[in-house]
Amino acid sequence: MAEKLQNTTLDVLLKKKVLEKPEAGVFLPLLLLLIVIGFVNKNFFAVNNVIDILRSTSYTFIVAAPLTLLMICAGMDLSIGAATALGGVVCGWGLAVLHWAILPSIMLGLFSGFIIGLIKSFLVVRFDLPAFIITLGLTKIIDSFILVTTGGVAVSGLKNDAFKILGQGKLFGKVHWTILIAIVIGILMHVILVYTKFGRSLCAIGGNKETAKLAGIKVVKTRFLIETTVSVFCAFCGICMCSRFNSGQTAAGEGTELTIMAAVIIGGTSMFGGTGSILGSFLGCLLLAVINNGLVLMHVSTNWQNMIFGLILVVSLFIDKYRRSKNAGTV
Amino acid sequence: MDTLLLKMAHITKRFPGVLALDDVNIELNRGEILGICGENGAGKSTLMKILSGSYVSAEYDGNILIDNMPVKFDSVYDAQARGIEMVYQEMNMLLDSSVAENLFVGNLPGRNGFVDYRKLYQSARNLVKQAELDIDVKTIVRNLNSGQIQLLSLMRAVSKSPKILVLDEPTTALTGNEVDILMRILSTLREQGVSCLYISHKLEEIYRICNRVVVMRDGRTINTHDIKDVEKQILIEEMVGRKIENLYPKEQTEPGDEVLRVEHLTVPHPSIHGKNIVDDVSFTLHKGEILGIGGLVGAGRSECLGAVFGQYQKNVKKKVFINNKEVQIKNPLQAIQNGIGFITEERKLNGIVWMLSIKENMSLANLGKISNFFFINRKKEKELVQAQCSSLKIKAPDMETEVVHLSGGNQQKVILGKWLMANPCILFLDEPTKGIDVGTKADFYKIMSKLTKSGVSIIMVSSDMPELMSMSDRILVLAGGKINGELTRKAGNISETNIMKAAIGE
Repeated sequence: MAEKLQNTTLDVLLKKKVLEKPEAGVFLPLLLLLIVIGFVNKNFFAVNNVIDILRSTSYTFIVAAPLTLLMICAGMDLSIGAATALGGVVCGWGLAVLHWAILPSIMLGLFSGFIIGLIKSFLVVRFDLPAFIITLGLTKIIDSFILVTTGGVAVSGLKNDAFKILGQGKLFGKVHWTILIAIVIGILMHVILVYTKFGRSLCAIGGNKETAKLAGIKVVKTRFLIETTVSVFCAFCGICMCSRFNSGQTAAGEGTELTIMAAVIIGGTSMFGGTGSILGSFLGCLLLAVINNGLVLMHVSTNWQNMIFGLILVVSLFIDKYRRSKNAGTV
Repeated sequence: MDTLLLKMAHITKRFPGVLALDDVNIELNRGEILGICGENGAGKSTLMKILSGSYVSAEYDGNILIDNMPVKFDSVYDAQARGIEMVYQEMNMLLDSSVAENLFVGNLPGRNGFVDYRKLYQSARNLVKQAELDIDVKTIVRNLNSGQIQLLSLMRAVSKSPKILVLDEPTTALTGNEVDILMRILSTLREQGVSCLYISHKLEEIYRICNRVVVMRDGRTINTHDIKDVEKQILIEEMVGRKIENLYPKEQTEPGDEVLRVEHLTVPHPSIHGKNIVDDVSFTLHKGEILGIGGLVGAGRSECLGAVFGQYQKNVKKKVFINNKEVQIKNPLQAIQNGIGFITEERKLNGIVWMLSIKENMSLANLGKISNFFFINRKKEKELVQAQCSSLKIKAPDMETEVVHLSGGNQQKVILGKWLMANPCILFLDEPTKGIDVGTKADFYKIMSKLTKSGVSIIMVSSDMPELMSMSDRILVLAGGKINGELTRKAGNISETNIMKAAIGE
């Protein structure tokens, strides 16, 4: 009897505290994974390994955080991978070929993202063309542009040690700068989403564009801004990678677009817009890194990586659906 | 020829909370055209959906008899097998297929899975010729105008040689010439012994083509007449004759100065090229006044409000004066800045954001008001929303509740709260009490009276006759995109008959 009672309270607690949160779909599988991997391999929770995981999380999260806002606004972007590569290559080109200083080169890289963002916004927002196809087309165009201009060879010979700090430097000799940058970006995006007019407008537009328009929200302007922001942050991610590898990799970010979007969706952001959270997207990115890292530690072939990620993606949608149906019955 | 073909006896159909059809009886003879007329929501379309098999036989009570044999329809296919063809009010054509393919969709001629195009085009040409249309049967339907498409959907039904043809407001998209063609086709069919049910609220057409007419009101059949023996006046009275309940706390107010003047408002029709849904309409609104806008569905009522508010911009022509000063309203934001609020008809489509909370929905139109620079002042937001929630008596656990969990009436109150938070001087209400319960309706009327007392002016579009008549100080009736009558409380000429007369273009 007593046991049964305890079970129910635990049950209620679990449902109240965890299952009702939008991040439940990612949190539970992540927790399970952490326990299993930690149990099998004691090195998993070693400080250096944790920092390693966070480091790879930071690169995806720098893109995923602004992308979350875009997807809440009912947008999508397949060109994030290409914009990342372009940002890195352009920045590297500024340093190695133009022999510009660090700051102007970084600005040049960001500017390339800005241009991509503008083109994308014009096509998707101004002319109201389907984002899926437009950004797919943009990806192909950018990829090819990079290959043509670089001949498919990474832009190397940066010869600039100070620039390396961005992607290789560590705070206290331990924590990589990109981790800290990603945290700052995450907090920034969270604040924008939850505490500003702009964030509220994004939710409204994603939830119901027509209602938002009739409530006097500047739909076109808001969408323009978020579309462009995403591309700029992609370019920034590319610049960080350029610094990390000390060269502008032509294939940086290739194939990451769908994975990052999946990470955002796993984190509880609706594919149809309206709701989502930055914390969820962070957990989604973390999950990706944990799978990668854990498999290596457990000596499992990395070929399994995508299967596990795919399974979790499917399971997380089930959890999300369950959560919604539970919530729908509450009032 | 005067023998009974179809009998629908004691048909009763309930929707959740609404009795849509209440013991309806209809008899259709061989080779006759039977008109069915009635107001919006009288149950005409529901009845036809039952006849055409759109509702499963288990969903309603009553019997359908064809040639004195009881029949049961569980799908549109069942009804078609019995020779019943329906031509719908809204067009359902494959826009990117050819005329011929559309005419014979579902029964393309051919053998072994291959289409016999020669035969297809030949049969299609015959049909197109019958409809007096001058179009190539290989034309893609998207390139046709809506009148041509409407005639084609009629011919598609005719091609199946039906015993009973059902037409639901077939002339809505037609020009005068095309109406003539339609009438000729129907007469020919009648001579061939086809029976026809003709739903329309245009009495002129009923008089032109029908043998008998059934009047429906509030889900009941009121009367059946031989068209030769009945005057229009009697039909109109039967269509509207209804008692008004006393749920309207309208107080006598003396309207003040002019607050809004709209001149030469013209809005192009969204789907019919070259036609205006609102055609050169001008009107004024005074302080503390409730101006009702009546008329039938499709008369351009909602479009009037939407166009003034800046919801539609493309090719809209208008001059708007607020307090005698001309203002530019190019988008909803400018309308809001000029003190206008707008509760739209379609709550789900453009009224609320489902997944957001009551609080977030209410503050949508007031983000500037509750923010300091970029940031939302959450304390102020909570206070303002709380004030609206308690004054509107919104029933919800708290203001963080997602609106998807609320009842229709409470959702409508949230939308009202959204606009009241903006302190508007002018409020547009489009079917404000559509689909909400009586209790909340009464709340709404009280709030409206309170608002006008405090100097807010209201324009209300409504198909609910008692509501329109009881709450309005003045009523403009639209017909075919033009103002076809102005009735005022002062002159004492507000009556259902007068509104109906103006609405059907008398």
